[in-house]
Amino acid sequence: MITLQRVCKTYPNGTNAICDLSLEIAEGETIVLLGTSGSGKTTTMKMVNRLIEPTSGKIFINGKDIGRQDPIQLRRKIGYAIQHVGLFPHMTVAENIAVVPGLLRWPVSQIDKRVNVLLAMVGLEPEDFSDRYPAQLSGGQRQRIGVARALAADPPIVLMDEPFGALDPITREQLQNEFIELVSKIKKTIIFVTHDVFEAVKMGDRIALLDAGRLQQLATPVELVENPANEFVDQFLGQHRFQLSLLTRTIKIIMSGINQKTPGPDTSIPSLRLRARSSLIEALDMFKKFKKVTLPVYDGQRFIGNLEKSHLLKAITRVIGETGETT
Amino acid sequence: MSSFMEIFQKLGPEILTRTYEHIYLVFLSMVIAVVIALSLGIYLTRCRWPKFVSVVMAIAGAIQTIPSLALIAFIVVVFAIIKLPTIGAIPALVALVLYALLPILRNTYTGIRQVDDSIIEVAVGMGMKSHQILFSVELPLSLPVIMAGIRISTVWTIGVATLCGLIGAGGLGDLIIKGLRSIRPDYLLAGTLPAAVLALVFDWLLGLVEKWLTPEGLRVGPDSQV
Repeated sequence: MITLQRVCKTYPNGTNAICDLSLEIAEGETIVLLGTSGSGKTTTMKMVNRLIEPTSGKIFINGKDIGRQDPIQLRRKIGYAIQHVGLFPHMTVAENIAVVPGLLRWPVSQIDKRVNVLLAMVGLEPEDFSDRYPAQLSGGQRQRIGVARALAADPPIVLMDEPFGALDPITREQLQNEFIELVSKIKKTIIFVTHDVFEAVKMGDRIALLDAGRLQQLATPVELVENPANEFVDQFLGQHRFQLSLLTRTIKIIMSGINQKTPGPDTSIPSLRLRARSSLIEALDMFKKFKKVTLPVYDGQRFIGNLEKSHLLKAITRVIGETGETT
Repeated sequence: MSSFMEIFQKLGPEILTRTYEHIYLVFLSMVIAVVIALSLGIYLTRCRWPKFVSVVMAIAGAIQTIPSLALIAFIVVVFAIIKLPTIGAIPALVALVLYALLPILRNTYTGIRQVDDSIIEVAVGMGMKSHQILFSVELPLSLPVIMAGIRISTVWTIGVATLCGLIGAGGLGDLIIKGLRSIRPDYLLAGTLPAAVLALVFDWLLGLVEKWLTPEGLRVGPDSQV
């Protein structure tokens, strides 16, 4: 668990980057620090691995004050990935991933094994990519290596500063989806910085919305979108309210009113399955993709009913009404 | 052409000795200059006082603007005042070292400073110590630039070292001075040609070293396969 206790950061030039920020981040949680540039989101993140020291206040990791720990040792236990990736151009992909395990003096055989596992984990063929140099990779591939490098020594905490920010929209979405999938398997505490509210809603278990160094709202994506705490939050979500509502509302909400278990699930196509956690948008995409009128919905492996396209459309119309969209 | 061969036949042994002295002088001053400039350059990249950096750079730059003849004369005068030897290899070495500093110093400093900020940020963020960042990130990435500085410096020093003949430090300059004093073109040629050849050969050799020291990852393009 990471605890920020009344943390303030004032830069020498007098700017208040962060004012009186208190935050508790649970183990295994993905928390998104969301805000415009200058909101203090990156400063907050960098205080966790002591790249920036707070002016006042304390930060604890599992109850221990990080201000009293050796910053070098602290950083080796925290994964770190940034927007510009920062791969070492003179090192191969394998050498880049091996940096932190090397610093921690892992045995070579263990490092080699780990590199292969990580490359496979981020969807790159180890044999093909291990010996390449960063200059020989595409932007998306570099970012995958950046993520693999952050996870290399299996740190319990990972800091990610707009890791997908510099990618084209298609690659970004692909990497976001893969990352969500990856995170669900590896259980890490992740602090994810972004200015993109859609990315925040997609990636975060909770979102901390910051503005001018102050925490505006700390909430789950659904709460944030449905119950903005103040005018700033309301304005920040602004014209995206409708799309965000479709993104944060899950199929589960519609399914609770329906109990249509007959006929049984259509199992003709294996990928023809909606998860109860899927958003309305994802459901809509799937209807479009498979050109069906009903889709089977699963909660985990359990079939919970069939969703009719008309029900989904009704739910969407309701969202339009609630968010005051006029179409 | 035949007279050419004659000169070299007649003066052969002396040319060899003087060339050897010349290389010795250049090599020694370059080793000293590289050690000083490299450590000073690295220190400047760590220095938190930007004024100091610009002062050091300005001094190194100023030395470079002094005509080489004047610099040698100046050192001899200073040495005479503080009662140090005014002829021979010692004052010559001091002059050559001072003259060789700037290109190496400047290239070391800018070479390290030009390493991408995000690369350094990640290195710090991953828990690398300052010396680990220096030796496994900054120096490998700036080596080509530093080597270019050493190469320029060496070629210059080979030229400037001929002036050290003036103060009895030996080297190819000795032959040139002899030629000048006794109006003997054969001596002039015997000093000048080897010096020019030396400069070309060292330029080429150090170019090879530069290429060899450039990390493979910086040489490869997006399409090349390893």
